[in-house]
Amino acid sequence: MKETKIWKGLPGFENQIEEQANSSEFGDMNVPALSGITESISADSNTGRRDFLKMLGFSLSAAALASCKMPIKKSIPYIFKPEDITPGMANYYASCYVEGGDYVSVLVKTREGRPIMIEGNQQSSLTNGGTSSQAIASLLNLYNTARFTGPKKAGADVSWTALDADITGQLKSISDAAGKIVLLTGTIISPTTKAAIANFKLKYPTAEHIQYDAISYDGILNANEKSFGLRAIPNYRFDQADLIVSVAADFLGTWISPGEFTSGYTSKRKVDSKNPSMSRHIQIESMFTLAGSNADKRIPVSVVEESLSVIALYNLIAAKAGVASVDNAEFSNKDIELTANELWKARGKSLFVCGINDVNTQLLVNGINNMLGNYNSTILWDRPSYQKQGNDAAVANMLANFANVKAVIMAECNPVYSFANGAKFGESLKNTLSIYLGERKNETSENCKYIAPTHNWLESWNDSEPKAGIIGTTQPAISPLFDTRQYGETILKWGGVNDTYYDYMHAYWQTTVLASQTKYATITTLWDNTIQDGEIVCNAPAMTITPNFTFMAEAAGKVKSASSKKGKTQLKLYEKVSIGNGLNADNPWLQEVPDPLSKVTWENYLVTGISDEKYFHNPDHKKFKVANVKVGAKTFSLPVYCMPGIPAGVFAMAYGYGRTITANEEFQRGFNAYSLLGTDLSNVTVTLTGEEVPLACTQIHHLLTHQGLGGMKTRHIIKETTLEDYKKNQASGNVIGEEEPRKEWIAEHLTTLYPGHTYNGHHWKMVIDLNSCTGCNACVVACNAENNVPVVGRDQVIRSREMHWLRIDKYYTGDEQNPQVTFQPMMCQHCDNAPCENVCPVAATNHSTEGINQMAYNRCIGTRYCANNCPYKVRRFNWYDYAGNDSFDKKYHTNNYTDSLGMQEPLVRMVLNPDVTVRSRGVIEKCSMCTQRIQAGKLEAKKAGEPLKDGAIKTACQSACTANAIQFGDYNNKESVVADLINNNERIFGVIEEIHTMPNVMYLTKIRNKEEIDEFNFTESLFD
Amino acid sequence: MSVYESPLREALILGDDKNYSKITDDIVRNTEGRPPLRWWIAFVISAATALFGVFCLAWTVWFGIGVWGLNKTVDWAWDITNFVWWIGIGHAGTLISAVLLLFRQKWRTGINRAAEAMTIFAVVCAGLFPIFHMGRVWMAFFIFPYPNTRGPLWVNFTSPLLWDVFAISTYFTVSLLFWYSGLMPDFATIRDRAKTARRKMIYNVLSFGWMGTAKQWQRFESLSLVLAGLSTPLVLSVHTIVSFDFATSVIPGWHTTIFPPYFVAGAIFSGFAMVQTLMLITRKLFSLEDYITPAHLESMNKVIVLTGSIVGVAYITELVIAWYSGYLYEQYAFYNRALGPYKWAYISMMTCNVLSPQVFWFKKIRTSVFWSFVLSIFVNVGMWFERFVIIVTSLHRDFLPSSWNYFTPTWVDMGIYVGTIGIFFTLFLLFARTFPVIAIAEVKAIFRSSSEVSRAQMSAPLDFSDVHHAEEHGHSGGGAHATVQHNKNFNEQ
Repeated sequence: MKETKIWKGLPGFENQIEEQANSSEFGDMNVPALSGITESISADSNTGRRDFLKMLGFSLSAAALASCKMPIKKSIPYIFKPEDITPGMANYYASCYVEGGDYVSVLVKTREGRPIMIEGNQQSSLTNGGTSSQAIASLLNLYNTARFTGPKKAGADVSWTALDADITGQLKSISDAAGKIVLLTGTIISPTTKAAIANFKLKYPTAEHIQYDAISYDGILNANEKSFGLRAIPNYRFDQADLIVSVAADFLGTWISPGEFTSGYTSKRKVDSKNPSMSRHIQIESMFTLAGSNADKRIPVSVVEESLSVIALYNLIAAKAGVASVDNAEFSNKDIELTANELWKARGKSLFVCGINDVNTQLLVNGINNMLGNYNSTILWDRPSYQKQGNDAAVANMLANFANVKAVIMAECNPVYSFANGAKFGESLKNTLSIYLGERKNETSENCKYIAPTHNWLESWNDSEPKAGIIGTTQPAISPLFDTRQYGETILKWGGVNDTYYDYMHAYWQTTVLASQTKYATITTLWDNTIQDGEIVCNAPAMTITPNFTFMAEAAGKVKSASSKKGKTQLKLYEKVSIGNGLNADNPWLQEVPDPLSKVTWENYLVTGISDEKYFHNPDHKKFKVANVKVGAKTFSLPVYCMPGIPAGVFAMAYGYGRTITANEEFQRGFNAYSLLGTDLSNVTVTLTGEEVPLACTQIHHLLTHQGLGGMKTRHIIKETTLEDYKKNQASGNVIGEEEPRKEWIAEHLTTLYPGHTYNGHHWKMVIDLNSCTGCNACVVACNAENNVPVVGRDQVIRSREMHWLRIDKYYTGDEQNPQVTFQPMMCQHCDNAPCENVCPVAATNHSTEGINQMAYNRCIGTRYCANNCPYKVRRFNWYDYAGNDSFDKKYHTNNYTDSLGMQEPLVRMVLNPDVTVRSRGVIEKCSMCTQRIQAGKLEAKKAGEPLKDGAIKTACQSACTANAIQFGDYNNKESVVADLINNNERIFGVIEEIHTMPNVMYLTKIRNKEEIDEFNFTESLFD
Repeated sequence: MSVYESPLREALILGDDKNYSKITDDIVRNTEGRPPLRWWIAFVISAATALFGVFCLAWTVWFGIGVWGLNKTVDWAWDITNFVWWIGIGHAGTLISAVLLLFRQKWRTGINRAAEAMTIFAVVCAGLFPIFHMGRVWMAFFIFPYPNTRGPLWVNFTSPLLWDVFAISTYFTVSLLFWYSGLMPDFATIRDRAKTARRKMIYNVLSFGWMGTAKQWQRFESLSLVLAGLSTPLVLSVHTIVSFDFATSVIPGWHTTIFPPYFVAGAIFSGFAMVQTLMLITRKLFSLEDYITPAHLESMNKVIVLTGSIVGVAYITELVIAWYSGYLYEQYAFYNRALGPYKWAYISMMTCNVLSPQVFWFKKIRTSVFWSFVLSIFVNVGMWFERFVIIVTSLHRDFLPSSWNYFTPTWVDMGIYVGTIGIFFTLFLLFARTFPVIAIAEVKAIFRSSSEVSRAQMSAPLDFSDVHHAEEHGHSGGGAHATVQHNKNFNEQ
């Protein structure tokens, strides 16, 4: 070892290094340079000019560096690592999303103990791996800043012990004084909770449990009680029906169990060369619903005519069946007659459903299905659905005799918001012992004296029985974030049981569920396996059905007299696919997802048809005319949205808006449609105010055809054909340019001198079946959650700056008064010949060796040239610091941008997927084909030492898709589904392939089960 | 240049009292003494506008590009419109100094200095846009191909934006050199007239110690020629490359092979219009009517009507080709351009660019100062709309109707644009106060052939007393030397 030399100036230093390197071979790990400097200064304080300058420069730059350092957030490793948690590895827990009867069996993806994603559970017999936008978005409810952090009494924090003692004492004295206690909830499908409630009722004999559904299904339940002696909803088999006729039932979007129905419906409509058949779907409705937009034939009728058409159909079918007809509806048309003919022809294999919440109409529906012989074929009573149990009569009774009610306990509902006269109910709550067992503040909790906050479903143990004998389990994926307690446990505690909910549920399963199934012998195997699977199918319980269809004439008479006072202008209240009944309207993901048909976000509006020009809006400026609506004594004003396919005189408005108590006022737009319940909507007055307001709309209607320089031509962006044509020619409808068959056109035109990419390993491709996609939006929300896609808020959407990586384009075809709809999920097409790649000056976007067009965010300088040059317009630019990474202002309310998602809140940021970069301001982003999932899948295969299996990697959108419309895989694996579809399916096409982008995302033509395809002559030039 | 000139040609230096000394006096006078009030008024307005522009740029950098009106479909609008507009304006300088020098157009001498200055300032304004339109302007240096430790990671040489970087920086450098080298003898003239030591020193440094020796003049002339030779291809290349930003894309309305010549013609068109605007202001502001004459205006107006007509032919060719192509998307792009929601922009463009310059076929109008000014403004406006039409109407409705959209600017968009006009005029006014706004040496070079004085003498026998007079002023004036030198060169050729 050499001694450290003291040196001065550079020449000495260089020699020193040389000597050091020659002699010691890194034997001395002291860095001579640094020690040299210090010693040279301290040893003989003869600081030279050079040293001084060096020191000066060093300290200056060190100071400068220190001052611009990013704040460091310290992360502390586990001292005792939990057994299940490996940093960087995701854990999946089977669970069930249950909210007011909505049931989705899911897998919860957690990272480092945080739930970050909800995916479908493939093992579910009900939802078959499908999800819904609400189920995925419920993840944000866990991290909602409006959540209660602990129990409260009159607005002040109290302890659970104090709260329990206080409330049980009061309940006891109320019960002793024979005062009525009401337990008001939404539909509860959990057997354990029901047992807990039964126990509660035992303790307090004056307690009554009243269930109500915000969107009532009272009519169909009561009709079934009359017709079958069972107040339940039968098991509809959309997968068995050859012909589906729906009157105003949006069974793909909102009606009863849309996930289950979508899964069944689309499975019957998968068409390929081996099975060239599909069901036919006719929709009779006033408002354009998601189901209506998927129908092969849609018959637009006015609101009142919806129920009249049921009478008309009853009579037409009764005539064929030789059954007595009922009072003439005085309404029919050719399409209704044709529908009756078709129904009769398909009897026994048809399915007739109706979404009108009226017992008499539903009785007629039962009668029609009975005449058609659909019971025991497409409508079964083996496993009735319990997803809707609300009882309007019980609620009305309670409200009428509210003076007797001394205590109201509310859970899973928001009556102050969703009762017709909610404000009055809220007032009257003040005279009672009012207790709210909710998760976060809302209109009802504001009016309650006590708040006993409940867990989010992701923090809970629970079970659920959506259909008789099908039991799903919910297990916690995270420890409770706040001082909350599951409301089932609260009810248990107040009912005198001190078990935890988990123990109670376990015991309940031991006594009840174990006996009703044969799969597992012991409670341990039953419990462990079911919790792992998320769902168990028990034996179908014995159902006693007493069919009785004798009320038809009376029912028809009532329907007719109810419809007799119809006016020219009628109002229809409907439910939106994502916002639903509005209980989760304070969810930014759900608010920013566009409505499938109107493509409007963040608020409700008045929908009307296109027969009256005075309502037309200016699409380019997103300016909509405001109308005053007078319904009975109530008036309100909303912007008018003109949508084709809605008959003259029909106006429609969505539920779920006009909330008043939410995390912030972003969620409080629109008008509360519940306040109109009970008023006569069949004669309303609509007058324009002359005002214009913008609506946050993501897609403006435009033509697919144009009559410009080249005359009328069609953009073949979506391709469709009829089932008959498909049977004759599998490539029918699959045309390019001047109606030339795609295959030949491609072979002839798309040649190049340039060498293309070669893919020696994987070559990822995606195929989307336009025939399966229903446009439900689940994939859009899944993409948001998986990829940390920012929510930008209403004002930014008005400026057309929504960040969605995946959007669903909607196109109308055919007759403009009654158009057909095609939905086309559109995301980065990962072109092999990508226009974006060669224009980026800094090569921030480039092509991977596996066919993926990738973004290097760190390299992007934000010239946006790629976004301009993208023919699919799928690239999204971070106009502001949406993710809140480096904002200087916590409340970033400036320049028309509000942080609607709450990305400044540490609580909300917990939802971020750590595998995906959170993008900064000024960079472009877009679909990455879930490259993090591809990476993870490849690693798994590598660890297992096996080739990657087809289907082992699923993109987020694919995993969310209930209809199985999205397929993803390795094209180089010739066994893969995508390789088979691309090589062998004649329906395959790419969007605007003419420009030789060679997209890696391909589509399958849409097939309609109808006589002939509508021409693309649909114009909305009226709006221009 | 040749001493003899046809008497049919109009004189380019007016005033029967002119001589070399008077020329120096007329031009240098503007840099001496206190600026007139009208200069101050103009300067305050320009500087205030410029400051507002700087404020808007700061606003953009602070909050993000979101403060502009852009959206998911239209990702470029006013930013790149302004960029191309300014670059186009910058074109006239090179053309006048290089191409007209090679073609020995004498009338260029009255305007070339200001035109070159305009080029520099226009390119400065233009350069702001590609920089500040970046989402992460603090990473703008990524665009340069510098050696680095990341691989090394190079820029994407296939991107037209990168070609822009090279084209514009080259153009700026060459234009600056050309402008500055021409200024050196004139700086020396100012120096020699300077009354204070400080002024003398500053202008001495600026003139690089120009002595006016024959050797210096010879090298000066060679340099002029070399730079003119270098610049001439740049006249074609810069705007060709700018047009590649659009022409190499796939967007209908952008993807057009006609763009390079069309853009170059358009650039000359707009550049001349801007020179016209500036010269008309300058001659008034600094009383230079004798040097920027109706003859100059007429020559420039002729170029304007020629290039305006070329541009008009290009517009019509685009329409015809769209129809002829039979290609749906192309057809729709042009149909939409002319008759879509932005038809007001298209009509403005057509009116200002194609129709309005046609009045220059009338001599009365093309020699009228008033009409020249009005029409030059028209052309400036029209050419701005041309770029707006190309960029925005092509983008807002391209392939998928689901993404069609509309662009509306915000106050920040407008503020930055107006701000660059402020920056431009601020720089120009400063230039006009401190630098000789007309190339003294070059104007003197044509004095003997193209001035009103020489015309009067043309009929009388030649009298060289003026030359001697100039020489008495010493080497600084340089005009006579230049003339002699030039004649010599010319004769040898």
